[in-house]
Amino acid sequence: MEREKPIPIGTTAVMERTGETMEEMYVNMGPQHPSTHGVLRLLLKLDGEYIIDCVPFIGYLHRCHEKIGENRNYTQIIPYTDRLDYLASMSMNFGYVLTVERLMGVKVPERAEHMRVILAELQRIASHLLWLATFGLDLGNFTIFIYCFREREMVLDLFEAVSGQRLNYSFYRIGGMPMDFPDTWIDDCKAFLDWFKQRLPEYDALMGDNVLFQKRVQGVGAIDPKLAVDYGLSGPMIRSCGIRWDLRRNDPYSVYDRFEFEIPVFDTCDVWARYMVRRQEMAESARIVEQALAQLPAGDIMAKMPKNIRPPAGQVYCRTESPRGELGFYIISNGSVKPYRYKVRSPAYVNLSALPEMLKGCLVADVVAVLGSVDIVLGEIDR
Amino acid sequence: MTFASLVERLYAVTEAWGLPWIVPTLVVMTIVAAVILGYIAVAAMFLIWWERKISAHIQVRFGPMRVGGWHGWAQSIADGIKLLLKEDVIPAGADKVVFVLAPMVVFAAALAAYVTIPWAPGLIVRDLNIGILYMVAISSLVVVGIIMAGWSSNNKYSVLGAMRSAAQAVSYEVPLVLSLLGPVMIAGTMSMGKLVEAQGGRWFGFLPKWFVFPQIVAFLVYFTCALAECNRLPFDIPEAESELVAGFHVEYSGMRFAIFFLAEYANMFVVAAIATTMFLGGWHGPWFPLPGLPREVAQGLFGLFWFLVKCYVLIFVMMWLRWTLARLRVDQLMDFAWKVLLPIAFANLIVTGLVLVLGKQALLYVLGIAIVLLVAIALAARAVGRPVRVGKA
Amino acid sequence: MTLKLGIFYFLAAFTVWAAAVVVLGKNIVRAAVALIFSFCGMAALYVLLDAEFLAAVQVLIYVGGITILLLFAIMLTSRIGAKAARVINDQAFLSGIAAVGLLAGLIYASTFGIGAMAGPPRLPETAPFLGRALLTTYALPFEVVSVLLLAALVGAIILARKE
Repeated sequence: MEREKPIPIGTTAVMERTGETMEEMYVNMGPQHPSTHGVLRLLLKLDGEYIIDCVPFIGYLHRCHEKIGENRNYTQIIPYTDRLDYLASMSMNFGYVLTVERLMGVKVPERAEHMRVILAELQRIASHLLWLATFGLDLGNFTIFIYCFREREMVLDLFEAVSGQRLNYSFYRIGGMPMDFPDTWIDDCKAFLDWFKQRLPEYDALMGDNVLFQKRVQGVGAIDPKLAVDYGLSGPMIRSCGIRWDLRRNDPYSVYDRFEFEIPVFDTCDVWARYMVRRQEMAESARIVEQALAQLPAGDIMAKMPKNIRPPAGQVYCRTESPRGELGFYIISNGSVKPYRYKVRSPAYVNLSALPEMLKGCLVADVVAVLGSVDIVLGEIDR
Repeated sequence: MTFASLVERLYAVTEAWGLPWIVPTLVVMTIVAAVILGYIAVAAMFLIWWERKISAHIQVRFGPMRVGGWHGWAQSIADGIKLLLKEDVIPAGADKVVFVLAPMVVFAAALAAYVTIPWAPGLIVRDLNIGILYMVAISSLVVVGIIMAGWSSNNKYSVLGAMRSAAQAVSYEVPLVLSLLGPVMIAGTMSMGKLVEAQGGRWFGFLPKWFVFPQIVAFLVYFTCALAECNRLPFDIPEAESELVAGFHVEYSGMRFAIFFLAEYANMFVVAAIATTMFLGGWHGPWFPLPGLPREVAQGLFGLFWFLVKCYVLIFVMMWLRWTLARLRVDQLMDFAWKVLLPIAFANLIVTGLVLVLGKQALLYVLGIAIVLLVAIALAARAVGRPVRVGKA
Repeated sequence: MTLKLGIFYFLAAFTVWAAAVVVLGKNIVRAAVALIFSFCGMAALYVLLDAEFLAAVQVLIYVGGITILLLFAIMLTSRIGAKAARVINDQAFLSGIAAVGLLAGLIYASTFGIGAMAGPPRLPETAPFLGRALLTTYALPFEVVSVLLLAALVGAIILARKE
């Protein structure tokens, strides 16, 4: 006589209840996970080691950003935009104030424009450094994390000198900038750029030229370029598919059209291409900052603005190139001090939506590589 | 006064107590095991501290600096005490017997391999005549313990991690054993003590007769497989913290986790000791008689010193690699073992055998290095690939 | 009662106990772990019989290879741990008769049969003798076994391949 009492030990007991088999297993990655870069939950459907499907669950960081925007006046929204993509606060600020200025038809002084470009490009370098650090860390290279953070600390020191903050700066204002550069800031910035230019070959020697790293990223997480355009990918994601599209060139804003810089484009559409694009972008951003510092004119940093910012009734959509892609702000104004409708087009949100496409046919170990290459920030995705 | 005479003295002392026959044997065995265990504990604590220091200096940091004063030397002791005091958690639904047994199996296997390590001339716990085969066989027990740990944790990720670890260990065992057969064939014996003695003397007065020179390819293959057996980067998928599968020992905490950790460092030392014995000449090294001590004792002390220096140099290289390289994916790892390392190990074995049978010993050095290096480079370049910038801008 | 005899009794009891857990255990993973212990016990018994090479190979192959394979098979079979393994099967009566008969035969052989044979030669080292024997006297079975292993390997790969 055999007893049918089940023995509740081991993994297969769990799978017995959920009806999974080894051929089709559901595995959760997150929301607490060292490699999802924020509170993201990825439900992976696995066949052994291969990924059949992936469903991202977002919203863990939703803070009602857009609704809050409807209840604040235009200047009060600026600190909220910092917290969107908290790793690229300057870029978020930039996009937002540009939108309101376009709505109001304000002309920003030259010095302020140059300051904006300098800070935005330094922010791009800092954001890409953090991306490189965490990307390498996920793939097992612990040392590049420390090396990149060493450089990022220097950028953060520069930002702290100019704005008083290390992460969420709220430094841009509608119509210009609140404060000028401190005394030695420009020399410090030039010193940082000199130091930084020698570091890029070091990162290559440590990671980029290493065969092990290349084997992990080449051919992994590819997406068809046409599909990429259909999904609306932007930034390094689209430039890694062979499509030359950068808002700083294709839809220039501020004074970007005065500087000479290349747009790195790679055509293999995989994680390796995205790595190469971002690594090149760091070098190009350094070039832009150098040119902007050289061309920095003297003058005012703030245009003549009324005490209450009251844009005329109307709507505007303004897009800028944040480190993650096309950042868009859509504001409908009804003539009052608070926007009627305030919407943010987040680049990482759109890029993340293509993740299931990129993960088809990948192995479980590739998830971290591909997710790292999308460069998401949950603050921006969830708002 | 050698180790053997020390043990004889112990036997004499314990037999003089007049107790039944089993007591002296047990007492001596216990003392020897306790000495080995003591060495493992101290060495593991040192290695943990050393790893933190090495990783820190590679990463432009300092590492432990405060605990105990000088460069935080007491950090490992503090960590050990902390782990001892932690709550012992056994996950609900886990198989208690197997869960408890797994770290013991892993540690016992790591400990048992210390029996045939030749520390100095005459200083081996037991110079088994199947020495190296015994060590390899015992190392394969570690894999069993890992599977037990993964399965009994009642955690999908643990099972996946354990299976990957087992697959990796079993795959890399084959080229490991094959690469070790080269020196065995040259020396004609599997006994660790005799293997070291076969590497005494010098060629042309300056080149030591270490087996690393005719068997350089075998040494490199062995070192790579040894990294994989210890689950160290670049082969640390089973333990990777940032991968999806968090590893086979994710559910272990406190002292049980400490046992796994200790076993990993003990295993690292064993693997370095095998490499030193088989390839780097074991305890051979320059020595001179010390005043006031008999010749054998001075030779023994110097032998022990050189043996430890060589082992720790190899361990330093293992740590250096860990903090510099990225991780291989599981399928790339298996590819590498079966398609690259195994053919190279076979080629080395064939060439060594041919030269031993056909030619003089000297021919071994020249031909062995030349042919096998060619094969190795060809295979490795084809399969592994050279760094290349793919994609046009 | 010499040391060797005492050790033999201890090891034999350990091996038999482990084997009993394998046969009578309801939890299949615990049975596999007990199988590991019984293999290790067997290896120790080989050492007592002066076959030290065989003992090392037993651990390397049986424990380090075959039991791992067994554990893989258990872990990859879905829902195998959910039910208790059956200890007594339907042919209990017939198999009981066969077991008793085997036991009687073994007792007879060990008291009258094997005792009459000559003991094994005391070799200083078994490995060189084994190696020479395998490559000279028993070369043909050695090669046949390697071909058999190759066939098994190819068969396993074909069976496991996904179409």
